[in-house]
Amino acid sequence: MNDFLPNISLMLDSVLDSLLWFYPELVLGILFILVIITDLFFSKRFQNAVFLLTSFGLGVVGYFILLQLNAPSETTVFSGMIRPDKLSTYFKVILCVVSLLFLLFIRDNKELKSHDKGTGDLHAILIAVLFGMNLMVMSSNLLMIYLSIEMVSVGSYIMVGYISGTAKQTEAAMKYALFGAVCSAMMLYGMSLVYAFTGTLNFIDPAFLSGLSSVSTLSSGIALGMIMVGIGFKLSFVPMHFWTPDVYEGAPTPVTAFLATGPKIAGFALLIRLLDSLGGTKAALDFNEILGGIALITMIAGNFSAIWQNNVKRMLAYSSIGHTGFILLSVLAFSQAGQKALIFYLSIYALMNMAAFMLADYIEEKSGAKNLDEYKGLGQKLPLTFFLFVIVLVSLTGLPPTAGFIGKLLVFSAALEMYNSTGSLLVMVLIIAGALVTLVSLFYYINVPLNAYLRQSNHEVEITEIKTFKIYLSLFLTIIILVLGIFPQLLTSFIVI
Amino acid sequence: MIPVTHFMIISAILFCIGLYAAISKRNAIMVLIGIEFMINAAILNFVAFGAYDKEVNGGQIVALFAIVLAAAGVAVALAIILNVYKYYKTIDPDKIHNLRD
Repeated sequence: MNDFLPNISLMLDSVLDSLLWFYPELVLGILFILVIITDLFFSKRFQNAVFLLTSFGLGVVGYFILLQLNAPSETTVFSGMIRPDKLSTYFKVILCVVSLLFLLFIRDNKELKSHDKGTGDLHAILIAVLFGMNLMVMSSNLLMIYLSIEMVSVGSYIMVGYISGTAKQTEAAMKYALFGAVCSAMMLYGMSLVYAFTGTLNFIDPAFLSGLSSVSTLSSGIALGMIMVGIGFKLSFVPMHFWTPDVYEGAPTPVTAFLATGPKIAGFALLIRLLDSLGGTKAALDFNEILGGIALITMIAGNFSAIWQNNVKRMLAYSSIGHTGFILLSVLAFSQAGQKALIFYLSIYALMNMAAFMLADYIEEKSGAKNLDEYKGLGQKLPLTFFLFVIVLVSLTGLPPTAGFIGKLLVFSAALEMYNSTGSLLVMVLIIAGALVTLVSLFYYINVPLNAYLRQSNHEVEITEIKTFKIYLSLFLTIIILVLGIFPQLLTSFIVI
Repeated sequence: MIPVTHFMIISAILFCIGLYAAISKRNAIMVLIGIEFMINAAILNFVAFGAYDKEVNGGQIVALFAIVLAAAGVAVALAIILNVYKYYKTIDPDKIHNLRD
């Protein structure tokens, strides 16, 4: 113990210096406490207090993140725990926007608003989860990975089971919690093995790579594979995708929209971090090839399963699995151009999914239609809604003139560039598969306009399209998607790496 | 001194027992117990190898964090299972299948 005493002042100084890079998270921490206090004492008198405080707080967080974007840190801070570099700051911008959209979404969701528990606690959980996701994209230490993934996971379990108003919701929450806990326990065991092999938890440390290379491929493969299980749960790639459709269907729609975007994007950032430290040398086994295989299977499985779905949220869940496979392709093609393509695609992906779930939620609230065959004849009754829905689905498919097309184009060209430089057969197969599943995805997306416009319903119901806040919000998102489809440089010029 | 391989073997056995309990899933509580086994297997590894990492003490720190996080996760999972029981009157994951393809 006495050996450490002279170092204490040095350590304290380094912590204080590191705080400079931690402003967004500090604000989130303070905000978390403030929101709980406000919800306890003031929410009865001022109904909007919690919402206003949270959105104002997230605005401040966004401001600090933008400040960080101008002056990112080149080194790790907090003695190698986190690395707030430029790439992670871009991810933090996306995550902050996703959280803001989620906040607006729950404000206009009948199911959550009308519940007597209120949405105050949900705001606090959102802030905690955003804190976890920010740590996730910055982490450079195995302990930080575990800590942040658990922070996000535990928060998301509560989000899914927040109302528990129906049997399905509790079932979704239970499946999510049990599956997630098993995956994170496996990840922790994998980390303990990696720690045993390398003697360090800091995965950008050179000792980490050399330690992994010194053991047999089988041992390091098992250990790293177990860590991948934990990340794979967040990304929901095959074979860790079983929970996705069930949880997406059962959870309240705003929560589904959040799960499909926020934690997934943070998981991709984490994957890039880890691959970055493993790459370069043939450390253990060729992870790129395994991930390429996973990407291929995920693309095919996600898109083909989506064809048979009748429930809209289930269909969107499988389509998001398909998108995961596609994004994995851009993670593999992670060069200078690949980074740009990935960030562009992920931001568009977040906007598209948010808009799609908002519209599905609106249709469900207005007409009670949860399944595709119940959409029959709704196109005339809810004209604006379905018009927007079709544009969003076109963008999810990746057809012009939407931003989804530009995103796919950027990913494909980054992958082609990688093929030209490496000549890897796997990349070529992935590119071809990516193009083919885009065609397949048309088959299930087209079911929405097909039912809504061309088929007639047997029983007539009176529905009037009352434009709520949610419709204006999705109109706004759709306009962004269209504008970015025509002028992508509005966003790409912003991404300078 | 006990050689470190012994710790590894015990933790591997613990992990396998936990994984079996989690996968055979007769009862949601049993799954949670299995998860606890797996986490404790990992903690055993961390503490055993922490002895070789006296400067940073990474293993010991992870063990402390893992214990706390496991407790938090279990608390949330138990609350969710309680809610499931309210609707299904069973906590056998195989019998709870409203959501499926």
